Amino acid sequence: MNKPKVAIFDFAGCEGCQLQIVNMEEEILDLISIVRLVEWREGMSEQSEEYDVAIIEGSITRPQDEEKVRQIRERAKTLVALGACATDGGVNKIKNRFDLQEVKQLVYGADSALPHLDSAPTKAVDEVVQVDYKIYGCPIDRREFAHVVRSLVMGKRPEIPNYPVCVECKRKENVCRYEYHEICLGPITRAGCDARCPSFGTWCFGCRGSVDEPNVQAAREVMERYGKKVEDLEDRMLLFSNKQEARG
Amino acid sequence: MSTRKLNQEVFGLWVNELIARQRVVGVQAKEERFVFEPLSKAEDLRLDYDVTILPPKKYLLPQRENLMAFTAQGEYESRLEHEPFILFGVHPYDVVAISQLDAIFRAGHYDVHYMTRRRNATIVACDVQKASAHVFASSMNTATVQDGFDLLLTKIGDDYLADAGTEKGEALLALVPGGVEPAKEDFAKREQVWRTNQESLGKHDLKCRPDELPALLAKSYDDPIWEEKARLCFSCGSCNLVCPTCYCFDVHDDMNWDMQTGTRTRSCDACLLNEFAAVAGGHNFRRHPAERYRHRFYRKGSYIPNKFGFVACVGCGRCISACLTGIANPVEIYNQLYAKSPDIETSEQAALPEVSPVTERTLSEDIYAPQAATLVQTRPLTELETFYEIRLDSGLELGHEPGQFVEISLPGFGEAPISVSSSPTQRGTFQMVVRNVGNLTNALGKLVTGDRIGVRGPFGSEFPVHDVMKGRDILLICGGIGLVPVRSAINYILDNREDYGHMTILYGAKTPADRIFADEQRDWGQRTHVTMLETVDDPDENWHGHVGRITALLPLVHISPENTIAVVCGPPVMYRFVLEELQKMGMSDDSIYLSLERRMKCGVGKCGHCQMNGVYVCQEGPVFQYSTIREVMEAI
Ligand SMILES: Cc1cc2nc3c(=O)[nH]c(=O)nc-3n(C[C@H](O)[C@H](O)[C@H](O)COP(=O)(O)OP(=O)(O)OC[C@H]3O[C@@H](n4cnc5c(N)ncnc54)[C@H](O)[C@@H]3O)c2cc1C
Ligand code: SF4
Ligand code: SF4
Ligand code: SF4
Ligand code: SF4
Ligand code: FES
Repeated sequence: MNKPKVAIFDFAGCEGCQLQIVNMEEEILDLISIVRLVEWREGMSEQSEEYDVAIIEGSITRPQDEEKVRQIRERAKTLVALGACATDGGVNKIKNRFDLQEVKQLVYGADSALPHLDSAPTKAVDEVVQVDYKIYGCPIDRREFAHVVRSLVMGKRPEIPNYPVCVECKRKENVCRYEYHEICLGPITRAGCDARCPSFGTWCFGCRGSVDEPNVQAAREVMERYGKKVEDLEDRMLLFSNKQEARG
Repeated sequence: MSTRKLNQEVFGLWVNELIARQRVVGVQAKEERFVFEPLSKAEDLRLDYDVTILPPKKYLLPQRENLMAFTAQGEYESRLEHEPFILFGVHPYDVVAISQLDAIFRAGHYDVHYMTRRRNATIVACDVQKASAHVFASSMNTATVQDGFDLLLTKIGDDYLADAGTEKGEALLALVPGGVEPAKEDFAKREQVWRTNQESLGKHDLKCRPDELPALLAKSYDDPIWEEKARLCFSCGSCNLVCPTCYCFDVHDDMNWDMQTGTRTRSCDACLLNEFAAVAGGHNFRRHPAERYRHRFYRKGSYIPNKFGFVACVGCGRCISACLTGIANPVEIYNQLYAKSPDIETSEQAALPEVSPVTERTLSEDIYAPQAATLVQTRPLTELETFYEIRLDSGLELGHEPGQFVEISLPGFGEAPISVSSSPTQRGTFQMVVRNVGNLTNALGKLVTGDRIGVRGPFGSEFPVHDVMKGRDILLICGGIGLVPVRSAINYILDNREDYGHMTILYGAKTPADRIFADEQRDWGQRTHVTMLETVDDPDENWHGHVGRITALLPLVHISPENTIAVVCGPPVMYRFVLEELQKMGMSDDSIYLSLERRMKCGVGKCGHCQMNGVYVCQEGPVFQYSTIREVMEAI
């Protein structure tokens, strides 16, 4: 078998998703047995020109990074966005809701004018180049990552769910967080994590982004039913909402 | 059958004895709720439960199950679970639900995966001791049961009455260490429990009789309630997934890391989910939340009753607690509809048919297992479509009729329904044409002569070449790859020419480059008593034929409507326009046959994906006489 060349790049993010890959343990050997990793800062240094699959972690926050992403796109047959920062902008996008200068001032204080700290509104990878597949989540789900890699090696479109987390939550027979009067974003969040958070006894904070047609109105009305305020819901949705438009 | 009375101590010893001998799955606490889980000791058993989050169905039709293992070379090996086990503490409404699933998985095509597990299950039922918040078993006549269990436990005072319903149950009773013959007043106490439960398991009260639901729903299809309620629907499928009578499923292939072996799994699906009825290419046959929302209530109260003879809701109330927005309550919906049409007449009641006779098969026969076949010819027809000729490795004939389809399997890519394109008069091999639109069809497009594929079938209904088409003129109207199945009939008719009258073939393609079987079309056109007309939507400079929609060809043909049978096959949008034209030409709905497409998974009437209202396209279709589906709202 001709092993496909795979490269992994990281931009602005915590690298937690790459850590998930490193943590695959025995499976990492399985992974190496079907793909050739040609570029991965986290794991190796060899450089290569062309990739069958380029995987990008992190969101795009600097103009020079946009250029780099475009180069990767040109060299890659298939481009995959890895993790919430890359697929939706992730937590980094929260800064878009504030004035950029203020944010820089807040984060870097007096150093904020230094050129290497140049920062532009956060973008998801698909706001810069065309993305073929998205591996959602903060962090990603290792099983799903493995599924995507194997699918791509087979020449198959990975099957990424477009239904809410509740589906997986019900299959796992969890007690619903709403029974504990907690606000859970499961009903509007894209499944694929095997309902990770409710299975560990906490609410879903929506890290995989929303399903294609989320019924946000229903989510609002549920708040009343459970004695919560719509503002509580909106606060909770801010963390990973992909609806935040860039300002400034 | 015998009955024993067990005091608490004997009961505990007995349960531990059962655990020592067999796998026992029993009701246990999970946080503040209850679940069926493997039991390790009698003390964990909580027969005082109100309702479990998921029904015990999960041990018969698991959330996820390994259907078969496969190799990249195309060998499939069915996985069946033969381990005997005891389902302990099943409430009467769940017993009824299991009996329903039994009927469904035995009827027609025998589902050996479900049935093997079912045969190995011993059901210990238990009368309800505490009503759950939303149970309405009282309204559904499921508060108590007379059969469907192997053993029935009823708590009377501090003791249990254990009543064997079958030989299996009798065998469990024989293991009771001690226990006494119940006295007359014990039976009286049990009667009292039953009477109480028949009244008290009714937190919601259905105003009509359950057997009136099909008639009620027959009047309610366009009621505003579906839109009103579905406004708050998350399309989360929770109402399906917790339901003891829901059984729709999905099937997926997963390759292992070695890329040489893999598993085909099936998982519980939910008709409320957005893409349940969506097909490759983007068309969704139940696109709006309200359509999916309505479907569940119709399936419970109309489609399944009309097909199997029972209402597919047992009143467990699980969907009511599972639905976050509070719109899933069947009683609320049915009562609101009933308030609007209280006058359903008994005569309108759907006659509840007998459950179709059970065909017991040998256990090795797996309707989901493909047989091996080899591609003896592959040839590109257009940029997107490829032609295949296939021989079954068994050397047997496929044995299909024109209009039927097969399920094609590729290890790791799953299955897809594909029409047989060759006539049954062609022996030894069969043919098909596949358009590359998604995972499986794309992988198929890369195969070459000599490669292996898996085949199941043939499935579905046929064009009526053996009866009503005989002696008549034939009008065939095909759009795009709709010509593929119809070609089977064309060649069959040409091979039995004297049995049929004049044959008119109308074919429409998008562009000249999209035309398929152009050579054959020329040959067909040269046969006696055949008219062959073609059109394209977008011509190029070399095209000298007709331009425009296929309906533009109809005025060019002259038919005698009383003596003609028409067949229509094409993309979903085509049917309505063609039907209108045919009706204008004086064709009666009895003489028009349609071949319809829907999302399909199983091909054998189980997975629920292909349903248009209550009609299973994989079984009753894909070929339909138009008059029989005119009233089927989701058909056209
Ligand atoms: C009775 C019948 C006859 C058909 N005959 C032909 C034929 O002769 N030639 C041809 O090219 N196509 C035919 N189709 C359509 C063909 O089945 C789909 O194009 C195919 O299933 C797509 O599978 P995929 O894996 O390539 O696409 P994906 O998008 O990857 O589909 C995933 C799964 O969804 C389901 N699915 C998606 N689209 C359809 C669909 N249109 N119909 C049913 N299930 C679907 C299947 O289970 C499929 O495995 C027929 C469909 C039906 C129902
Ligand atoms: S806990 Fe959250 S994800 Fe699970 S069923 Fe409840 S709302 Fe849905
Ligand atoms: S349950 Fe929600 S927050 Fe938790 S991993 Fe899944 S999508 Fe992310
Ligand atoms: S009716 Fe309720 S439980 Fe069912 S899909 Fe809609 S929101 Fe989910
Ligand atoms: S429809 Fe609701 S109440 Fe009826 S059986 Fe299903 S889950 Fe129970
Ligand atoms: S019921 Fe499964 S395809 Fe028809």
